[in-house]
Amino acid sequence: MSRLLETSGLSRSFGGLRAVAGLSFAVAEGEILGLIGPNGAGKTTAINLLSGVIKPNAGRVVFAGEEVTGLPPHHLARKGLVRTFQSTVVYGHRTVRENALRGAFLGLYPGVVPAFLGTLRARARRRETEDRIAELLAWFGLDHLGEAIAGSLPYGRQKSLGMVIALAARPRLLMLDEPVAGLAAEEADQVLETIRRIRQRGVTLIVVDHNMRFISGLCDRLVVLHHGQELAQGTPQQVLADSAVIAAYLGRGHGAA
Amino acid sequence: MASVIGAAARSTRPRISALHGLVAGAALLLALWPLVFGNKFLLALATLVALYAIGAASLHLIIRTGHVSFAHAGFMGVAGYVAVLSQMRLGLPFAAALPLGCLAAATVALAIGPLILRVTGKYFVLVTFLFGEILRLVFTEWTAVTGGSNGIFDVPPPAPVFATPLGFYYLALGAAVLCVGIVARILGSEIGRTIDALREAERLAECSGVPVIRWKVAVFVVACALAGVQGVLQAHYLRLIDPTTFSIVESLNLVVMNVIGGMQRLAGALIGALFLTALPELLRGYVEMQRVFFGIILIIVMAALPGGIIEIGARLRALGKAR
Repeated sequence: MSRLLETSGLSRSFGGLRAVAGLSFAVAEGEILGLIGPNGAGKTTAINLLSGVIKPNAGRVVFAGEEVTGLPPHHLARKGLVRTFQSTVVYGHRTVRENALRGAFLGLYPGVVPAFLGTLRARARRRETEDRIAELLAWFGLDHLGEAIAGSLPYGRQKSLGMVIALAARPRLLMLDEPVAGLAAEEADQVLETIRRIRQRGVTLIVVDHNMRFISGLCDRLVVLHHGQELAQGTPQQVLADSAVIAAYLGRGHGAA
Repeated sequence: MASVIGAAARSTRPRISALHGLVAGAALLLALWPLVFGNKFLLALATLVALYAIGAASLHLIIRTGHVSFAHAGFMGVAGYVAVLSQMRLGLPFAAALPLGCLAAATVALAIGPLILRVTGKYFVLVTFLFGEILRLVFTEWTAVTGGSNGIFDVPPPAPVFATPLGFYYLALGAAVLCVGIVARILGSEIGRTIDALREAERLAECSGVPVIRWKVAVFVVACALAGVQGVLQAHYLRLIDPTTFSIVESLNLVVMNVIGGMQRLAGALIGALFLTALPELLRGYVEMQRVFFGIILIIVMAALPGGIIEIGARLRALGKAR
Protein backbone atom coordinates (compact mmCIF):
# COMPACT_ATOMS: atom_id res chain seq x y z
CA MET A 1 0.00 0.00 0.00
CA SER A 2 1.22 3.48 -0.82
CA ARG A 3 1.81 6.07 1.81
CA LEU A 4 -0.80 8.83 1.78
CA LEU A 5 0.52 10.88 4.66
CA GLU A 6 3.92 10.91 6.26
CA THR A 7 5.32 13.08 9.02
CA SER A 8 8.90 13.29 10.20
CA GLY A 9 10.20 15.04 13.29
CA LEU A 10 7.03 17.09 13.69
CA SER A 11 7.38 19.40 16.70
CA ARG A 12 5.52 22.23 18.30
CA SER A 13 6.15 24.09 21.56
CA PHE A 14 3.97 26.58 23.38
CA GLY A 15 6.27 28.77 25.42
CA GLY A 16 8.37 26.30 27.35
CA LEU A 17 5.95 23.40 26.92
CA ARG A 18 6.83 20.90 24.22
CA ALA A 19 3.32 19.83 23.20
CA VAL A 20 4.52 17.60 20.37
CA ALA A 21 8.15 16.62 19.96
CA GLY A 22 9.66 14.73 17.03
CA LEU A 23 6.53 12.93 15.90
CA SER A 24 7.14 10.62 12.92
CA PHE A 25 4.62 8.22 11.42
CA ALA A 26 3.03 7.26 8.13
CA VAL A 27 -0.52 6.43 7.09
CA ALA A 28 -1.09 4.08 4.20
CA GLU A 29 -3.89 4.61 1.71
CA GLY A 30 -7.10 2.99 2.96
CA GLU A 31 -5.83 2.52 6.49
CA ILE A 32 -7.38 3.56 9.79
CA LEU A 33 -4.66 4.92 12.03
CA GLY A 34 -5.32 5.59 15.70
CA LEU A 35 -3.56 8.40 17.50
CA ILE A 36 -3.96 7.71 21.20
CA GLY A 37 -2.63 8.82 24.53
CA PRO A 38 -3.91 10.12 27.85
CA ASN A 39 -5.15 13.68 28.27
CA GLY A 40 -2.36 16.17 27.66
CA ALA A 41 -0.34 13.73 25.58
CA GLY A 42 -0.36 16.07 22.58
CA LYS A 43 -3.09 14.43 20.50
CA THR A 44 -5.02 17.62 19.81
CA THR A 45 -1.84 19.53 19.01
CA ALA A 46 -0.90 16.73 16.60
CA ILE A 47 -4.22 16.90 14.73
CA ASN A 48 -4.03 20.71 14.69
CA LEU A 49 -0.56 20.46 13.14
CA LEU A 50 -1.71 17.95 10.53
CA SER A 51 -4.76 19.99 9.56
CA GLY A 52 -2.84 23.27 9.34
CA VAL A 53 -4.72 24.94 12.18
CA ILE A 54 -1.36 25.59 13.85
CA LYS A 55 2.10 25.61 12.27
CA PRO A 56 4.94 23.35 13.42
CA ASN A 57 8.24 24.67 14.81
CA ALA A 58 10.09 21.85 13.12
CA GLY A 59 9.52 18.75 11.03
CA ARG A 60 7.78 17.94 7.78
CA VAL A 61 4.39 16.72 6.61
CA VAL A 62 4.10 15.04 3.21
CA PHE A 63 0.65 14.36 1.78
CA ALA A 64 0.17 12.34 -1.42
CA GLY A 65 3.85 12.75 -2.27
CA GLU A 66 3.78 16.50 -1.84
CA GLU A 67 5.26 18.56 1.00
CA VAL A 68 2.41 20.37 2.78
CA THR A 69 4.18 21.49 5.98
CA GLY A 70 2.68 24.69 7.39
CA LEU A 71 0.00 25.10 4.72
CA PRO A 72 -3.24 26.70 5.95
CA PRO A 73 -6.34 24.52 6.49
CA HIS A 74 -8.21 25.68 3.37
CA HIS A 75 -5.24 24.72 1.24
CA LEU A 76 -5.06 21.26 2.81
CA ALA A 77 -8.82 20.78 2.45
CA ARG A 78 -8.45 21.48 -1.26
CA LYS A 79 -5.85 18.71 -1.44
CA GLY A 80 -8.19 16.31 0.36
CA LEU A 81 -7.07 16.53 3.98
CA VAL A 82 -10.11 17.32 6.12
CA ARG A 83 -10.80 17.14 9.85
CA THR A 84 -13.59 17.26 12.41
CA PHE A 85 -13.44 19.05 15.74
CA GLN A 86 -13.43 17.58 19.22
CA SER A 87 -16.14 19.74 20.71
CA THR A 88 -19.05 19.71 18.31
CA VAL A 89 -18.51 22.49 15.82
CA VAL A 90 -21.48 23.14 13.59
CA TYR A 91 -23.21 26.29 12.34
CA GLY A 92 -25.61 26.29 15.29
CA HIS A 93 -28.22 28.72 13.97
CA ARG A 94 -28.57 27.02 10.59
CA THR A 95 -30.47 24.02 9.36
CA VAL A 96 -28.82 20.62 9.11
CA ARG A 97 -28.99 20.77 5.32
CA GLU A 98 -27.43 24.25 5.23
CA ASN A 99 -24.61 22.95 7.45
CA ALA A 100 -23.92 20.13 5.02
CA LEU A 101 -24.02 22.47 2.01
CA ARG A 102 -21.47 24.73 3.66
CA GLY A 103 -19.22 21.74 4.20
CA ALA A 104 -19.46 21.07 0.46
CA PHE A 105 -17.99 24.50 -0.40
CA LEU A 106 -15.23 23.03 -2.57
CA GLY A 107 -17.62 21.13 -4.81
CA LEU A 108 -20.45 23.64 -4.64
CA TYR A 109 -18.74 26.97 -5.21
CA PRO A 110 -18.39 27.59 -8.94
CA GLY A 111 -16.17 30.71 -8.81
CA VAL A 112 -17.07 34.37 -8.38
CA VAL A 113 -18.60 35.14 -11.77
CA PRO A 114 -20.73 31.98 -12.23
CA ALA A 115 -21.90 32.27 -8.61
CA PHE A 116 -22.85 35.93 -9.05
CA LEU A 117 -24.64 35.34 -12.33
CA GLY A 118 -26.18 32.03 -11.26
CA THR A 119 -25.07 30.35 -14.48
CA LEU A 120 -26.14 26.91 -15.64
CA ARG A 121 -22.85 25.52 -14.38
CA ALA A 122 -23.52 27.01 -10.94
CA ARG A 123 -27.00 25.48 -10.91
CA ALA A 124 -25.74 22.11 -12.07
CA ARG A 125 -23.19 22.10 -9.25
CA ARG A 126 -25.91 23.03 -6.82
CA ARG A 127 -28.18 20.16 -7.93
CA GLU A 128 -25.33 17.69 -7.91
CA THR A 129 -24.24 18.82 -4.43
CA GLU A 130 -27.78 18.69 -3.04
CA ASP A 131 -28.18 15.11 -4.20
CA ARG A 132 -24.83 14.19 -2.69
CA ILE A 133 -25.73 15.95 0.57
CA ALA A 134 -29.11 14.21 0.72
CA GLU A 135 -27.37 10.88 0.38
CA LEU A 136 -24.85 11.76 3.10
CA LEU A 137 -27.61 12.89 5.47
CA ALA A 138 -29.54 9.69 4.84
CA TRP A 139 -26.41 7.70 5.54
CA PHE A 140 -26.04 9.37 8.95
CA GLY A 141 -29.75 9.10 9.72
CA LEU A 142 -30.19 12.84 9.51
CA ASP A 143 -32.33 12.95 6.37
CA HIS A 144 -35.58 13.53 8.23
CA LEU A 145 -33.88 16.35 10.18
CA GLY A 146 -32.74 18.33 7.14
CA GLU A 147 -34.71 21.42 8.11
CA ALA A 148 -33.98 21.18 11.85
CA ILE A 149 -31.74 23.84 13.41
CA ALA A 150 -28.35 22.25 14.05
CA GLY A 151 -27.88 23.83 17.48
CA SER A 152 -31.10 22.28 18.75
CA LEU A 153 -30.02 18.70 17.97
CA PRO A 154 -28.84 16.35 20.71
CA TYR A 155 -25.09 16.04 21.21
CA GLY A 156 -24.67 12.77 19.32
CA ARG A 157 -26.55 14.11 16.29
CA GLN A 158 -24.39 17.21 16.26
CA LYS A 159 -21.29 15.03 16.23
CA SER A 160 -22.73 13.12 13.27
CA LEU A 161 -23.40 16.40 11.53
CA GLY A 162 -19.79 17.40 12.16
CA MET A 163 -18.76 14.27 10.25
CA VAL A 164 -21.24 15.04 7.46
CA ILE A 165 -19.74 18.53 7.10
CA ALA A 166 -16.25 17.03 6.84
CA LEU A 167 -17.30 14.29 4.39
CA ALA A 168 -19.14 16.84 2.25
CA ALA A 169 -15.72 18.23 1.35
CA ARG A 170 -14.91 14.82 -0.24
CA PRO A 171 -11.70 14.12 1.71
CA ARG A 172 -9.04 11.57 0.77
CA LEU A 173 -7.86 11.60 4.36
CA LEU A 174 -10.30 12.33 7.15
CA MET A 175 -9.07 13.17 10.63
CA LEU A 176 -11.56 12.62 13.44
CA ASP A 177 -10.86 14.39 16.72
CA GLU A 178 -12.36 12.30 19.56
CA PRO A 179 -15.37 11.03 17.60
CA VAL A 180 -16.90 9.14 20.54
CA ALA A 181 -16.05 11.48 23.42
CA GLY A 182 -19.17 12.07 25.49
CA LEU A 183 -21.28 9.48 23.67
CA ALA A 184 -23.21 6.62 25.25
CA ALA A 185 -21.87 3.11 24.53
CA GLU A 186 -24.64 2.41 22.03
CA GLU A 187 -23.99 5.64 20.11
CA ALA A 188 -20.26 4.96 20.19
CA ASP A 189 -20.86 1.56 18.55
CA GLN A 190 -22.80 3.27 15.78
CA VAL A 191 -19.95 5.72 15.21
CA LEU A 192 -17.54 2.79 15.06
CA GLU A 193 -19.65 1.19 12.35
CA THR A 194 -19.88 4.50 10.48
CA ILE A 195 -16.12 4.97 10.51
CA ARG A 196 -15.66 1.48 9.03
CA ARG A 197 -18.10 2.36 6.28
CA ILE A 198 -16.30 5.63 5.56
CA ARG A 199 -13.17 3.57 5.01
CA GLN A 200 -15.05 1.22 2.69
CA ARG A 201 -15.75 4.25 0.51
CA GLY A 202 -12.03 4.66 -0.02
CA VAL A 203 -11.32 7.32 2.58
CA THR A 204 -8.21 6.95 4.72
CA LEU A 205 -8.70 7.86 8.38
CA ILE A 206 -6.76 9.14 11.35
CA VAL A 207 -8.77 8.77 14.55
CA VAL A 208 -7.68 10.60 17.67
CA ASP A 209 -9.02 9.31 20.97
CA HIS A 210 -7.98 8.28 24.44
CA ASN A 211 -10.36 5.35 24.73
CA MET A 212 -8.08 2.36 24.17
CA ARG A 213 -10.90 -0.19 23.97
CA PHE A 214 -12.75 1.79 21.29
CA ILE A 215 -9.74 2.58 19.21
CA SER A 216 -7.94 -0.77 19.33
CA GLY A 217 -11.02 -2.50 17.98
CA LEU A 218 -11.23 -0.07 15.10
CA CYS A 219 -7.73 0.77 13.94
CA ASP A 220 -5.26 -1.11 11.77
CA ARG A 221 -2.36 0.54 13.49
CA LEU A 222 -1.83 2.75 16.52
CA VAL A 223 0.55 5.53 17.42
CA VAL A 224 0.74 6.07 21.17
CA LEU A 225 1.64 9.54 22.41
CA HIS A 226 2.91 10.38 25.87
CA HIS A 227 4.09 13.84 26.96
CA GLY A 228 4.17 14.92 23.33
CA GLN A 229 6.44 12.08 22.26
CA GLU A 230 5.84 8.82 20.50
CA LEU A 231 5.80 5.97 22.96
CA ALA A 232 5.01 3.09 20.64
CA GLN A 233 3.77 2.36 17.16
CA GLY A 234 2.34 -0.77 15.58
CA THR A 235 -0.72 -2.99 15.37
CA PRO A 236 -3.11 -2.84 18.34
CA GLN A 237 -1.81 -6.25 19.53
CA GLN A 238 1.82 -5.10 19.42
CA VAL A 239 1.04 -1.84 21.15
CA LEU A 240 -1.08 -3.44 23.85
CA ALA A 241 1.77 -5.82 24.61
CA ASP A 242 4.35 -3.04 24.78
CA SER A 243 5.64 -2.72 28.33
CA ALA A 244 6.23 1.03 28.03
CA VAL A 245 2.63 1.54 26.94
CA ILE A 246 1.30 -0.60 29.75
CA ALA A 247 3.38 1.29 32.28
CA ALA A 248 2.64 4.79 31.01
CA TYR A 249 -0.85 4.55 29.71
CA LEU A 250 -2.66 1.47 30.91
CA GLY A 251 -0.85 1.19 34.20
CA ARG A 252 -3.36 3.41 35.95
CA GLY A 253 -6.73 1.71 36.26
CA HIS A 254 -6.51 -0.30 33.06
CA GLY A 255 -4.03 -2.83 34.36
CA ALA A 256 -6.18 -5.79 33.44
CA ALA A 257 -6.46 -4.78 29.77
CA MET B 1 -34.25 7.21 -2.45
CA ALA B 2 -31.48 9.78 -2.35
CA SER B 3 -32.68 11.61 -5.45
CA VAL B 4 -36.22 11.79 -4.10
CA ILE B 5 -34.94 13.51 -0.97
CA GLY B 6 -32.84 15.87 -3.07
CA ALA B 7 -35.82 16.89 -5.18
CA ALA B 8 -38.01 17.50 -2.16
CA ALA B 9 -35.32 19.60 -0.55
CA ARG B 10 -34.81 21.72 -3.64
CA SER B 11 -38.44 22.72 -3.96
CA THR B 12 -38.57 24.50 -0.59
CA ARG B 13 -37.94 28.18 -1.29
CA PRO B 14 -39.74 30.04 1.51
CA ARG B 15 -41.32 33.50 1.10
CA ILE B 16 -39.36 34.37 -2.01
CA SER B 17 -42.42 35.60 -3.93
CA ALA B 18 -43.55 37.88 -1.09
CA LEU B 19 -40.10 39.41 -1.02
CA HIS B 20 -40.12 39.97 -4.78
CA GLY B 21 -43.51 41.68 -4.51
CA LEU B 22 -42.26 43.95 -1.77
CA VAL B 23 -39.17 44.91 -3.77
CA ALA B 24 -41.24 45.60 -6.90
CA GLY B 25 -43.69 47.74 -4.89
CA ALA B 26 -40.85 49.74 -3.34
CA ALA B 27 -39.24 50.28 -6.74
CA LEU B 28 -42.51 51.54 -8.19
CA LEU B 29 -43.05 53.92 -5.27
CA LEU B 30 -39.50 55.27 -5.60
CA ALA B 31 -39.80 55.75 -9.36
CA LEU B 32 -43.08 57.63 -8.99
CA TRP B 33 -42.06 59.50 -5.82
CA PRO B 34 -41.36 62.88 -7.51
CA LEU B 35 -44.66 62.72 -9.42
CA VAL B 36 -46.68 61.96 -6.31
CA PHE B 37 -44.88 64.44 -4.06
CA GLY B 38 -44.00 67.49 -6.15
CA ASN B 39 -42.45 69.01 -3.04
CA LYS B 40 -38.77 70.08 -3.30
CA PHE B 41 -38.01 69.15 0.27
CA LEU B 42 -39.31 65.61 -0.13
CA LEU B 43 -37.40 65.22 -3.39
CA ALA B 44 -34.16 66.30 -1.73
CA LEU B 45 -34.88 63.92 1.12
CA ALA B 46 -35.49 61.03 -1.26
CA THR B 47 -32.22 61.79 -3.06
CA LEU B 48 -30.32 61.69 0.21
CA VAL B 49 -31.98 58.42 1.20
CA ALA B 50 -31.01 56.89 -2.15
CA LEU B 51 -27.39 58.00 -1.67
CA TYR B 52 -27.18 56.72 1.89
CA ALA B 53 -28.76 53.43 0.86
CA ILE B 54 -25.61 52.82 -1.20
CA GLY B 55 -23.30 53.49 1.73
CA ALA B 56 -25.35 51.54 4.25
CA ALA B 57 -25.82 48.53 1.95
CA SER B 58 -22.13 48.36 1.07
CA LEU B 59 -21.21 48.59 4.76
CA HIS B 60 -23.72 45.80 5.41
CA LEU B 61 -21.68 43.60 3.08
CA ILE B 62 -18.58 44.11 5.26
CA ILE B 63 -20.62 43.59 8.44
CA ARG B 64 -21.76 40.23 7.08
CA THR B 65 -18.14 39.05 7.13
CA GLY B 66 -18.12 39.81 10.86
CA HIS B 67 -16.32 43.15 10.75
CA VAL B 68 -17.81 46.55 11.57
CA SER B 69 -15.80 49.15 9.68
CA PHE B 70 -15.62 52.70 11.02
CA ALA B 71 -13.69 53.91 7.99
CA HIS B 72 -16.43 53.55 5.42
CA ALA B 73 -16.95 57.29 4.88
CA GLY B 74 -13.18 57.64 4.46
CA PHE B 75 -13.29 55.28 1.47
CA MET B 76 -16.21 57.29 0.08
CA GLY B 77 -13.99 60.34 0.38
CA VAL B 78 -11.13 58.70 -1.52
CA ALA B 79 -13.50 57.94 -4.40
CA GLY B 80 -15.12 61.38 -4.20
CA TYR B 81 -11.87 63.33 -4.31
CA VAL B 82 -10.32 61.19 -7.03
CA ALA B 83 -13.42 61.47 -9.22
CA VAL B 84 -13.91 65.20 -8.69
CA LEU B 85 -10.22 65.98 -9.26
CA SER B 86 -9.95 63.83 -12.35
CA GLN B 87 -13.01 65.56 -13.75
CA MET B 88 -12.09 69.13 -12.80
CA ARG B 89 -8.31 69.03 -13.20
CA LEU B 90 -7.82 66.36 -15.86
CA GLY B 91 -11.03 67.02 -17.76
CA LEU B 92 -12.22 63.41 -17.68
CA PRO B 93 -15.93 62.88 -18.36
CA PHE B 94 -18.16 61.85 -15.43
CA ALA B 95 -18.62 58.39 -16.91
CA ALA B 96 -14.87 57.80 -16.58
CA ALA B 97 -14.37 59.73 -13.34
CA LEU B 98 -16.95 57.71 -11.37
CA PRO B 99 -15.37 54.28 -12.02
CA LEU B 100 -11.91 55.80 -11.52
CA GLY B 101 -12.97 57.07 -8.10
CA CYS B 102 -14.37 53.67 -7.14
CA LEU B 103 -11.21 52.01 -8.38
CA ALA B 104 -9.16 54.32 -6.15
CA ALA B 105 -11.26 53.39 -3.10
CA ALA B 106 -10.92 49.70 -4.02
CA THR B 107 -7.14 50.06 -4.37
CA VAL B 108 -6.80 51.63 -0.92
CA ALA B 109 -9.03 48.86 0.48
CA LEU B 110 -6.90 46.22 -1.19
CA ALA B 111 -3.72 47.75 0.24
CA ILE B 112 -5.04 48.00 3.80
CA GLY B 113 -7.46 45.02 3.88
CA PRO B 114 -4.99 42.14 4.26
CA LEU B 115 -3.44 43.93 7.26
CA ILE B 116 -6.53 45.01 9.16
CA LEU B 117 -8.93 42.13 8.40
CA ARG B 118 -6.84 39.79 10.54
CA VAL B 119 -8.07 41.55 13.65
CA THR B 120 -11.67 41.18 14.72
CA GLY B 121 -14.26 42.69 17.02
CA LYS B 122 -13.36 45.81 18.94
CA TYR B 123 -9.81 45.80 17.61
CA PHE B 124 -11.09 46.04 14.06
CA VAL B 125 -13.33 48.92 15.13
CA LEU B 126 -10.33 50.73 16.64
CA VAL B 127 -8.07 50.14 13.64
CA THR B 128 -10.68 51.30 11.11
CA PHE B 129 -11.56 54.27 13.33
CA LEU B 130 -7.91 55.30 13.17
CA PHE B 131 -7.64 54.67 9.47
CA GLY B 132 -10.76 56.74 8.77
CA GLU B 133 -9.25 59.56 10.80
CA ILE B 134 -5.99 59.29 8.85
CA LEU B 135 -7.92 59.59 5.58
CA ARG B 136 -9.78 62.63 6.89
CA LEU B 137 -6.45 64.22 7.90
CA VAL B 138 -5.12 63.65 4.39
CA PHE B 139 -8.22 65.33 2.93
CA THR B 140 -7.79 68.26 5.32
CA GLU B 141 -4.03 68.73 5.25
CA TRP B 142 -3.16 68.07 1.63
CA THR B 143 -4.36 71.57 0.78
CA ALA B 144 -2.68 71.87 -2.62
CA VAL B 145 -4.75 68.98 -3.98
CA THR B 146 -7.89 68.74 -1.86
CA GLY B 147 -8.41 72.41 -1.07
CA GLY B 148 -7.99 71.68 2.65
CA SER B 149 -10.92 72.16 4.99
CA ASN B 150 -12.60 74.51 2.52
CA GLY B 151 -12.79 71.68 0.03
CA ILE B 152 -13.45 72.08 -3.66
CA PHE B 153 -16.36 74.26 -4.81
CA ASP B 154 -18.40 74.35 -7.99
CA VAL B 155 -18.26 70.65 -8.71
CA PRO B 156 -20.03 70.41 -12.06
CA PRO B 157 -23.18 68.31 -12.50
CA PRO B 158 -22.45 64.84 -13.92
CA ALA B 159 -24.26 65.83 -17.13
CA PRO B 160 -26.65 68.68 -18.05
CA VAL B 161 -29.62 66.35 -17.73
CA PHE B 162 -28.73 65.67 -14.08
CA ALA B 163 -28.40 69.36 -13.23
CA THR B 164 -32.02 69.61 -12.03
CA PRO B 165 -33.06 68.13 -8.68
CA LEU B 166 -35.44 65.79 -10.52
CA GLY B 167 -32.76 64.61 -12.94
CA PHE B 168 -30.32 64.02 -10.10
CA TYR B 169 -32.92 62.13 -8.10
CA TYR B 170 -33.27 59.59 -10.88
CA LEU B 171 -29.49 59.31 -11.23
CA ALA B 172 -29.17 58.66 -7.49
CA LEU B 173 -32.07 56.22 -7.56
CA GLY B 174 -30.60 54.35 -10.51
CA ALA B 175 -27.22 54.11 -8.79
CA ALA B 176 -28.83 52.96 -5.54
CA VAL B 177 -30.87 50.26 -7.29
CA LEU B 178 -27.77 49.04 -9.09
CA CYS B 179 -25.50 49.04 -6.02
CA VAL B 180 -28.07 47.56 -3.64
CA GLY B 181 -28.94 45.04 -6.36
CA ILE B 182 -25.29 43.98 -6.57
CA VAL B 183 -25.10 43.56 -2.80
CA ALA B 184 -28.38 41.62 -2.75
CA ARG B 185 -27.21 39.35 -5.54
CA ILE B 186 -23.90 38.68 -3.81
CA LEU B 187 -25.63 37.80 -0.55
CA GLY B 188 -28.26 35.68 -2.29
CA SER B 189 -25.73 33.57 -4.19
CA GLU B 190 -23.26 30.90 -3.11
CA ILE B 191 -20.94 33.82 -2.31
CA GLY B 192 -23.38 34.95 0.38
CA ARG B 193 -23.65 31.44 1.81
CA THR B 194 -19.88 31.35 2.20
CA ILE B 195 -19.74 34.87 3.69
CA ASP B 196 -22.25 33.80 6.33
CA ALA B 197 -20.30 30.60 6.96
CA LEU B 198 -17.01 32.35 7.57
CA ARG B 199 -18.64 34.86 9.91
CA GLU B 200 -20.43 32.22 11.97
CA ALA B 201 -17.59 29.71 12.30
CA GLU B 202 -14.38 30.91 10.71
CA ARG B 203 -12.30 27.87 11.63
CA LEU B 204 -14.89 25.40 10.40
CA ALA B 205 -15.31 27.26 7.10
CA GLU B 206 -11.56 27.30 6.65
CA CYS B 207 -11.40 23.54 7.18
CA SER B 208 -14.07 23.14 4.50
CA GLY B 209 -11.68 24.84 2.07
CA VAL B 210 -12.65 28.52 2.30
CA PRO B 211 -9.61 30.85 2.09
CA VAL B 212 -11.05 33.08 4.80
CA ILE B 213 -8.70 36.09 4.70
CA ARG B 214 -8.77 36.24 0.91
CA TRP B 215 -12.58 36.23 0.97
CA LYS B 216 -12.76 38.92 3.61
CA VAL B 217 -10.36 41.13 1.64
CA ALA B 218 -12.33 40.60 -1.57
CA VAL B 219 -15.62 41.53 0.10
CA PHE B 220 -13.99 44.56 1.74
CA VAL B 221 -12.62 45.76 -1.61
CA VAL B 222 -15.96 45.37 -3.39
CA ALA B 223 -17.83 47.10 -0.56
CA CYS B 224 -15.43 50.05 -0.50
CA ALA B 225 -15.71 50.42 -4.29
CA LEU B 226 -19.51 50.50 -3.96
CA ALA B 227 -19.29 53.03 -1.14
CA GLY B 228 -17.28 55.13 -3.58
CA VAL B 229 -20.40 55.51 -5.71
CA GLN B 230 -22.07 57.37 -2.87
CA GLY B 231 -18.96 59.50 -2.30
CA VAL B 232 -18.78 60.58 -5.94
CA LEU B 233 -22.51 61.22 -6.37
CA GLN B 234 -22.71 63.11 -3.09
CA ALA B 235 -19.98 65.53 -4.22
CA HIS B 236 -21.91 66.20 -7.41
CA TYR B 237 -25.16 66.58 -5.54
CA LEU B 238 -23.79 69.08 -3.00
CA ARG B 239 -21.67 70.73 -5.73
CA LEU B 240 -18.96 70.63 -3.10
CA ILE B 241 -16.49 68.15 -1.66
CA ASP B 242 -14.94 68.79 1.75
CA PRO B 243 -13.54 66.67 4.59
CA THR B 244 -16.54 66.99 6.93
CA THR B 245 -18.72 64.86 4.63
CA PHE B 246 -16.26 61.98 5.07
CA SER B 247 -15.49 62.31 8.76
CA ILE B 248 -15.76 59.67 11.45
CA VAL B 249 -19.23 61.03 12.28
CA GLU B 250 -20.39 60.01 8.82
CA SER B 251 -18.85 56.54 9.22
CA LEU B 252 -20.58 56.22 12.56
CA ASN B 253 -23.82 57.28 10.91
CA LEU B 254 -23.54 54.39 8.45
CA VAL B 255 -22.84 51.94 11.27
CA VAL B 256 -25.85 53.22 13.24
CA MET B 257 -28.03 52.80 10.12
CA ASN B 258 -27.07 49.13 10.05
CA VAL B 259 -27.52 48.63 13.76
CA ILE B 260 -30.85 50.38 14.02
CA GLY B 261 -32.26 48.76 10.90
CA GLY B 262 -30.98 45.29 11.79
CA MET B 263 -27.47 43.96 11.17
CA GLN B 264 -28.41 40.48 9.99
CA ARG B 265 -30.34 41.46 6.87
CA LEU B 266 -29.68 43.74 3.91
CA ALA B 267 -33.20 45.13 4.29
CA GLY B 268 -32.16 46.28 7.77
CA ALA B 269 -29.43 48.49 6.28
CA LEU B 270 -31.96 50.02 3.86
CA ILE B 271 -34.54 50.64 6.58
CA GLY B 272 -31.78 52.19 8.69
CA ALA B 273 -30.72 54.47 5.82
CA LEU B 274 -34.31 55.61 5.39
CA PHE B 275 -34.91 56.06 9.11
CA LEU B 276 -31.66 57.85 9.92
CA THR B 277 -31.72 60.15 6.89
CA ALA B 278 -35.38 61.07 7.12
CA LEU B 279 -35.69 61.46 10.88
CA PRO B 280 -33.28 64.39 11.41
CA GLU B 281 -34.75 66.18 8.40
CA LEU B 282 -38.29 65.74 9.69
CA LEU B 283 -37.20 67.03 13.10
CA ARG B 284 -35.78 70.21 11.54
CA GLY B 285 -38.82 72.15 12.77
CA TYR B 286 -37.60 71.80 16.34
CA VAL B 287 -34.13 73.24 15.85
CA GLU B 288 -33.30 73.52 19.55
CA MET B 289 -34.51 70.09 20.50
CA GLN B 290 -33.61 68.24 17.27
CA ARG B 291 -30.61 66.36 18.67
CA VAL B 292 -32.40 65.54 21.90
CA PHE B 293 -35.46 64.11 20.14
CA PHE B 294 -33.23 62.23 17.75
CA GLY B 295 -31.27 60.68 20.61
CA ILE B 296 -34.40 59.75 22.54
CA ILE B 297 -36.00 58.12 19.50
CA LEU B 298 -32.84 56.10 18.83
CA ILE B 299 -32.75 54.88 22.43
CA ILE B 300 -36.41 53.92 22.39
CA VAL B 301 -36.05 52.01 19.12
CA MET B 302 -32.99 50.10 20.30
CA ALA B 303 -34.56 49.30 23.67
CA ALA B 304 -37.78 48.05 22.10
CA LEU B 305 -36.16 46.26 19.15
CA PRO B 306 -32.65 45.06 20.01
CA GLY B 307 -32.44 43.28 16.65
CA GLY B 308 -33.23 46.49 14.78
CA ILE B 309 -36.35 47.87 13.14
CA ILE B 310 -36.52 44.82 10.89
CA GLU B 311 -37.48 42.83 13.96
CA ILE B 312 -40.97 44.33 13.70
CA GLY B 313 -41.64 41.98 10.79
CA ALA B 314 -40.63 38.89 12.77
CA ARG B 315 -42.68 40.06 15.78
CA LEU B 316 -45.76 40.59 13.63
CA ARG B 317 -45.37 37.14 12.07
CA ALA B 318 -45.01 35.60 15.52
CA LEU B 319 -48.16 37.44 16.63
CA GLY B 320 -50.01 36.20 13.56
CA LYS B 321 -49.00 32.61 14.29
CA ALA B 322 -49.97 32.89 17.95
CA ARG B 323 -53.57 33.79 17.05
